[in-house]
Amino acid sequence: MGKGEASSKKVITKEEWEKKLNDVKIRKEDMNKLVMNFLVTEGYVEAAEKFQVESGTQPEVDLGTITDRMAVRKAIQCGNMEDAIEKVNDLNPEILDTNPQLFFHLQQQRLIELIRNGKLEEALEFAQEELAPRGEENHAFLEELERTVALLAFEDTSGCPVAELLDLSQRQKTASELNAAILTSQSHEKDPKLPSLLKMLIWAQNQLDEKASYPHINDLVNATLEDPVT
Amino acid sequence: MSLQEHKNSCDEATMPMFASSNAGDTEPFFAAAALGLGLRGGGGGGGGRDEDLDMEEEEEASPTHLNTSTCGHFLVVSTDKLSARYTGEGRHGNDVGAIQGNRPAPSRRLVYYFEISVKDRGQKGYISIGFTNENFKTSRQPGWDPNSYGYHGDDGKLYHGHGVGDTFGPTFTVGDTIGAGINYASQEFFFTKNGKIIGTTFKDVQLPLYPTFGLHSPNEKVCVNFGQSPFVFDIEALIQEERERRQRAVENVPLPLSISHSIVRAYLLHYGYQDTLAAFDDACGGTFPSILAPKDNDPQVLHENYALNERKILRRLARDGDVDSVFAKLREWYPKLLQDGHSVVGFLLHCQKFIELVKAGALEAAVFYAQQELASFFGSPPLQNLLQDCVALLAYENPAESPVGYLFKLGQREAVADAVNACVMGTNPVLLSSGQSPQSSLEKLLRQLTACQAEMRFFYGGQGEVFRLHKILQGSKDGGW
Repeated sequence: MGKGEASSKKVITKEEWEKKLNDVKIRKEDMNKLVMNFLVTEGYVEAAEKFQVESGTQPEVDLGTITDRMAVRKAIQCGNMEDAIEKVNDLNPEILDTNPQLFFHLQQQRLIELIRNGKLEEALEFAQEELAPRGEENHAFLEELERTVALLAFEDTSGCPVAELLDLSQRQKTASELNAAILTSQSHEKDPKLPSLLKMLIWAQNQLDEKASYPHINDLVNATLEDPVT
Repeated sequence: MSLQEHKNSCDEATMPMFASSNAGDTEPFFAAAALGLGLRGGGGGGGGRDEDLDMEEEEEASPTHLNTSTCGHFLVVSTDKLSARYTGEGRHGNDVGAIQGNRPAPSRRLVYYFEISVKDRGQKGYISIGFTNENFKTSRQPGWDPNSYGYHGDDGKLYHGHGVGDTFGPTFTVGDTIGAGINYASQEFFFTKNGKIIGTTFKDVQLPLYPTFGLHSPNEKVCVNFGQSPFVFDIEALIQEERERRQRAVENVPLPLSISHSIVRAYLLHYGYQDTLAAFDDACGGTFPSILAPKDNDPQVLHENYALNERKILRRLARDGDVDSVFAKLREWYPKLLQDGHSVVGFLLHCQKFIELVKAGALEAAVFYAQQELASFFGSPPLQNLLQDCVALLAYENPAESPVGYLFKLGQREAVADAVNACVMGTNPVLLSSGQSPQSSLEKLLRQLTACQAEMRFFYGGQGEVFRLHKILQGSKDGGW
């Protein structure tokens, strides 16, 4: 069999595939661990505490260490960026000193919050004085800055092309990035395992596509099994 | 070192430990698995209490010494079977002294590797290293015949299936340490000299393959290292690099952050972890409006919300070990579930009731309960292990410390709670009519992931690391991640 051999792909029917899926052993315990790991790593300390009681799953770290991380996350989720930056620096000033990209994203989020609150003058001043100098150092930062400032150009931002910046999920994104940096500084794994496994699922499905046609799961949230493409 | 002559005699039969492994090698599991449960005490026999589902996947045996029963003539092998000297004259092509490892290279991993050290180059330094299959003739150099690969020291060439080799690397001689390996991820052989990679070549040959070296001029002597001593080449670094390459590819897959949140939330809903759910929603407060206000017509959302209140209550009761109340609520809300006196969920609840009685020290009541409720379950095979373990509790003065002590742990209540939850989920008419499996999205995704990985291994002839979720969650590196 050669490397570049041309062969028709094997087709695995839905019935055959479902049989394989049923043969897989998944432990409830492992799923609980995965959920606990997610709650702990993402800093949902109260949910982690409840989950420990409800499911009997032991968290992999002392839940007490999450509290400071939580406070920072909460500040970002409330849009209180100055508070968040101050708290991180109290925790460990090296986190922001050694991570210019993270620091830029925090400042960018601060700019977004100013725009959201209609403090336009303050926003412009902040952009010019704090963010523009950083943009000069780094081209990617500059593009991000320009994208953010574009928010000012729209009276009604709801339909504008950069509206996603005002979406609350942008706060979540920033909060997760900072959370990961704090975890790294505490020599804890910075990413929860669940998203990695989901990425691995997408990757594994793509790999298998080269060999076979089989039922995919494309909609991860509903985990719907599609019919194989033939 | 004293050398002792070996002819074609005196060794144990070689035991190829290679097992073809794919998705199909999973053994049938406890009937309750159909309900999506991972019940302890249900799967294995006697010693299966802390049974590891991955047990059949445990360590593959590796070569440990040279196989003196099939080795070429003209070789003298040391008593430790880790070195060989050529005593022939090396006159023609069929008086080579080649020798294989006692087992094939293990294949359920990323990389296999071994090394030889040239102690004496003899008259001509006709020394080779490589891999050969079980039909290989040990009177020939590795690489001369089909289904063998060899890197030869006298000319530095790589031989594969011909008497003529390809230009490959430097020559090697006395004092050199040469390594040969299989990279199962890239499907390549690689060779090293004194700790540095010389080159790689596509592995165009079927497994199993034996680590092999060949000698062919008087007084050549070689020692082999199957890993009993540290290797000169940093094999761990190569493995690490291979892992990181794959991890980077995986991490580069784009994935919206909110998907993980949605899946976790659906999981909490699915199993009725009410307090956790409330705390989680609270903490996410407002940042994920899309998942907090799910579309009502979303089938999975409807499914996860089905009978949520009832399931929350049942889970709490089961978690508290209040089996009587679970029974009472089930009879009230879902009388059909317990109608059949021999349903799995009924059995599990009866067992749990018995366990709680023993735990409370009410042994007489426990015995009476067993006679009333459990006796009729003897003889239905899938339930036997749990039943036997339960009854065995009575045999110990201190059951919590006994081999069946796991029954007293919270995990057992959790398993019962999950079984009840799954049964209630299964009464959803939408689910019944659509034929969907009553599993959480998370479980479906993990099944899909595991099945895809198993299928990929199947296409690679069962080579490479086995994907083991359990190991990955333990933070182990060899879970195929």
